[in-house]
Amino acid sequence: MVQLTINGKKVSTKKGNTILEAALDNNIKIPHLCHDKRLMPYGGCRLCIVEIEGRKKPEASCATFATDGLSVWTDTPKVIKIRQTVLELILVHHPLDCPVCDKAGECDIQDLVYQYGSPRTRFVAEKNHALPDTRGPLVELTSSRCVLCGKCVRLCAEHQGKGALGLIGRGFPTVVQPAFGEALECDFCGQCIDVCPTGALMNKSLKFKARPWFLEEKDSICSFCGCGCTLTLGLTDGKIQRSRGMQDRGVNRGNLCGRGRFGFDYIYSENRLRSPMINKGGELVTVTWDEALNYISDRMKSIINAHGPSSIGAIGSPRCTNEENYCFQKFMRNVVGSNNIDSSASFGYGLVEKAWHMAFGLSGHRIDLKYPTGKEVILAIESDLTVTHPVFGLNILQAQREGSELIVADSRETKLTRHSTRWARIKQGTGVVFLNGIMRIMMDRGLIDNQIVLHMKDVSAFEETLKEYTPSKVSEITGLSRDELVTITETLVHAKTRMLTLSIGVSENSKGLDTVLAATNLIHLLGESPDALQIPAEYANTFGLYQMGVRPDAGPAYQWTGVEGKNIFEMLYEPYSLKALYIMGADPLVNFPDKSEIITTLKSLYLLIVQDIALTETAKFAHVILPASSWAEKEGTYTNAEGVSQMLPRLIEPAGQSLPDWKILKNLARTMGEDMAVHDTTDIVREIDSLRVKYYDSFPMTRIFNPVHYVPGEEPDTEYPVNMVLRDVLQHAGSMSTRSKTLNLISSEALLEINRTDADRFGISHNGYVKVISRRGTVYLKAAVSDSVPDGNVYVPTHFPHSAVSTLTHQSGKGRITTEAVRIETA
Amino acid sequence: METVLLKNIDNPKSADIDEYLKAGGYRGLSKAVTLEPADIIEEVSKSGLKGRGGAGFPTAMKWRFAATDPKFPKYLICNADEGEPGTFKDRPILEKNPHLLLEGMAISAIALGSEQGYIYLRGEYPDARDILEASIRQANDRGYLGDDILGKGLTFNIHVHQGAGAYICGEETALIESIEGKRGQPRSKPPFPVNQGAWEMPTIVNNVETLANIPYIIEIGGDAYSGIGSEDCPGPKLFCVSGSVNRPGVYELPMGTSLREIIHDHAGGIKNGRTLKAVIPGGLSTPVLPAESIDCRMDFISMQGVGSMLGSGAVIVMDDSICMVSVTYRAMKFFEHESCGKCVPCREGTDWLRKVLERVENGKGREGDVDLLLYISGTMTGRTFCPLGDGAAGVVQAMIKHFRTEFEEHISEKKCTYKSIN
Repeated sequence: MVQLTINGKKVSTKKGNTILEAALDNNIKIPHLCHDKRLMPYGGCRLCIVEIEGRKKPEASCATFATDGLSVWTDTPKVIKIRQTVLELILVHHPLDCPVCDKAGECDIQDLVYQYGSPRTRFVAEKNHALPDTRGPLVELTSSRCVLCGKCVRLCAEHQGKGALGLIGRGFPTVVQPAFGEALECDFCGQCIDVCPTGALMNKSLKFKARPWFLEEKDSICSFCGCGCTLTLGLTDGKIQRSRGMQDRGVNRGNLCGRGRFGFDYIYSENRLRSPMINKGGELVTVTWDEALNYISDRMKSIINAHGPSSIGAIGSPRCTNEENYCFQKFMRNVVGSNNIDSSASFGYGLVEKAWHMAFGLSGHRIDLKYPTGKEVILAIESDLTVTHPVFGLNILQAQREGSELIVADSRETKLTRHSTRWARIKQGTGVVFLNGIMRIMMDRGLIDNQIVLHMKDVSAFEETLKEYTPSKVSEITGLSRDELVTITETLVHAKTRMLTLSIGVSENSKGLDTVLAATNLIHLLGESPDALQIPAEYANTFGLYQMGVRPDAGPAYQWTGVEGKNIFEMLYEPYSLKALYIMGADPLVNFPDKSEIITTLKSLYLLIVQDIALTETAKFAHVILPASSWAEKEGTYTNAEGVSQMLPRLIEPAGQSLPDWKILKNLARTMGEDMAVHDTTDIVREIDSLRVKYYDSFPMTRIFNPVHYVPGEEPDTEYPVNMVLRDVLQHAGSMSTRSKTLNLISSEALLEINRTDADRFGISHNGYVKVISRRGTVYLKAAVSDSVPDGNVYVPTHFPHSAVSTLTHQSGKGRITTEAVRIETA
Repeated sequence: METVLLKNIDNPKSADIDEYLKAGGYRGLSKAVTLEPADIIEEVSKSGLKGRGGAGFPTAMKWRFAATDPKFPKYLICNADEGEPGTFKDRPILEKNPHLLLEGMAISAIALGSEQGYIYLRGEYPDARDILEASIRQANDRGYLGDDILGKGLTFNIHVHQGAGAYICGEETALIESIEGKRGQPRSKPPFPVNQGAWEMPTIVNNVETLANIPYIIEIGGDAYSGIGSEDCPGPKLFCVSGSVNRPGVYELPMGTSLREIIHDHAGGIKNGRTLKAVIPGGLSTPVLPAESIDCRMDFISMQGVGSMLGSGAVIVMDDSICMVSVTYRAMKFFEHESCGKCVPCREGTDWLRKVLERVENGKGREGDVDLLLYISGTMTGRTFCPLGDGAAGVVQAMIKHFRTEFEEHISEKKCTYKSIN
């Protein structure tokens, strides 16, 4: 720590901090425009100038490091005069179009000029009145308002790793622009909007909608991925107008991705469900809550009477709160009397939990978003965390910038591979072989951690299973050279601190339980603590729903329920295994693989209840549809991938007659003559707390090898010659985000990414429509010819209901790799 | 005095390595490969050599910082971005005596432990680029550069990087940014380039003329070298004289030669029999001196004494027909155009100064404009990110200090009184 004096007050700060950071950390305000703690010191605006005793010149505090014994004065008359002059200089050309500027009211320039008194204007110059660049879909660029602090440019390049904006030109005529003055094409994270101190970069979806001083701001938690970012939502007239990140707030510390910033508006989608509906003679008819609940109650009772409670199943939702998921499983277990309850987690986080338990005897695998920081080596396996978990991804990029060696084993070029120190371009789905190959080299060369491994029982048996993964065989399967594999192994072994990471979920198909188990085996050999494996839970409340017992094999807080219920595979892919299915906040027909198989199952049901916020594809097959309130319309908690439970306040009125899911369940139970014994969310929270045990201490840690062998997905043949890999796109998470009008401006349909060579081979042109045929079905998609993907493979996202990619896919039932063999034709 | 830097300059084939060798070239390097790096730095330290780019920082001190930094690789960059208006001293070295520079760089590289050098060449010197690249090839072929210098197993390679015409890239951190392929904007210091320069590695940036002095220092020894010219900043110095003189050109003279001697004895006195009015002694961004100050000695220390700077040694001479407002305006057009735009005082200040000067020069000046000019320049001094803004402000301040009445006349007469003279 460094000790210095600011304005006569002794303060301390971390070594390497600037004077400005020292001041801000100690609640001493120094005005600044070009400083952002995420960025390197810049020193451009000269507003943060301070006087330092013993130095002739005043110094820019953002670019001067704090050293022991400095005595700094931040508000001397001299300094104030300099600031006034800088502001005067800035205002000479500023258009002062505050009346029509959406920034007015929260504009740094306005606030500073107000604070330092209106400077006299001694120079009358023509105002800068360049027209705004309105071409981009989400970000409007009004360069006349720009003060060239460069924060947007630097944040985009240094922090986001994108570099979509540049300072174009030199000196006075400099403007912030995308390359060649084209329209902004980027990740659309919108971080540049948040850092802009003026109205130069504005959120187009907010334009002329709300004056900032009328916006009431409230924090809530993002409903998309497992990061659990805090959104600061601005409301007027009971409507959410915008979402932004506030510096240092939430697990995201003010960072947001495009989904969090622009995607909240799916709750205003036109196909929100506003009242209950019953399918009467093939047509969905609006009914009262009473009618709907009585209908369900009658049918359920008769099914229970005729077929027993185990003929009823349920699917929970990572979009619903902990309280609702808790009530859902309670309804199933206590009211219906069935353990048949599962969720999308069975394709993702559930596999991680399974592997976690098998390898370490532990439960409740959680990540630490800050874990990448300072790790010597980071190995990412077949994943682009900057897409699936953008804020976790940012921390990985930051670690790399700060000196971590980032090794990415992936078939596709991604942001992560672009920022990697080493990109091991393995073939898709060969992560297991890659990891086994590394372990074999470690074994052969005695590079294993003997202290850990020698205490493990089954070492030699495990070693035996690695025998076949000789470097030459691994090289043949993965496409990686032997030398590369050896270098990676050595780097990994010799590092003092490491992190292994991947993402796994229903929207990806080139990884499976085997991949996770292989990673846990590597953790053992390296002698690493289980924490070194960081696999984030995929969606907003996946972690939470798992803890709440929305799973067939355990109740809340991992309590064994005696009888294992049917899992998602048995419920959805085995027609006639159930008589009734209750789906809360899930759209299996879009998000889960093998649509036609699921349709067969759904059609076989006597009763399908779909409870959701919008009319989903699955809902179209329902006998009863129940309208639920969205995350913004109710109270509750989400638990993020870190295991942190975070409050969602009720911000707006529920849509139509929609109700919070827990209330629907409570009412339904009551209609069925049962009492859930909960009156409000406080009751539920109390009940959950009473059941909660200490998850992490309650299990003793063990170490067990789980040998895995490479089982590829569907192998291409002459009829279906191409591998189809499922990958998320940055703008979407799950399928609900596709109902966001704003996000749809950027990404509104599933694009089939295909290599130039393959495109030529199949006669496909960029943006042309293609027919994709698998053994299970056919869909029509638009092609995007891309250098990022290797030949012989195409990459497709599953988010979009109308793209119906799930028509093509299959599931393995065992958490295996399920890449598809497909044929591609021009359409 | 024996010429060191312009040695052999009249030989039309002076750029050829054989001619250079005939004139005693690469003797310094031959000696240097037998010395310990620390001894080379010690010789340079004894010589008292100060950087010739303008700031006058002791060269040996700079080298020591980089040489003692344990990080590797280290980079040696020759700043050949000669962009300061009025300056053309490095050009004869680059075009006529390139091997002197290469030899100097090779010796410096040995001293620093650097294996990769760059010559950051001014974009407007296309001939120099060809000559340098040919010379580097020659030196490589003869074993004076490359991977086994003079059979001693030492490595040093030089790459010529041509600038794209930005004045700011003469500033060493902006130059480094430019070499890295980034926008030419100065970096925040500390960290200084000696510890964290190009690609965050220890980097030395030296001017062409500084490096061209090195072979001579090694050859004759630091002590002997320190006997040349001024006591505090010894050595030969190139002066490039332009403007109202009879014989404009580059002159190699001992450091500390007086301005009067340079203008009258060497450059042939004032053109057309006019009288001297003012001199900008060290390139456009150094403060102007009135005629009565020309007895001062041209070295780093003496020039500070008279309120100016030695700068690059670019002497711009102005006779009594020259309008100082016009000169100031012209200068400010340059600074406005070349300001990188990073910091507010320089970006907005140079633009504002130029606009006020423009109206004064065109007879549209307003009362109080002179004070306004002083006010704006005062807000820039010491508050800009890099010295470009300081230089621009200093030009205005010195001009008004010495020629205030001329500015006031422009305003009261509502015209430029000199336009009729020319």
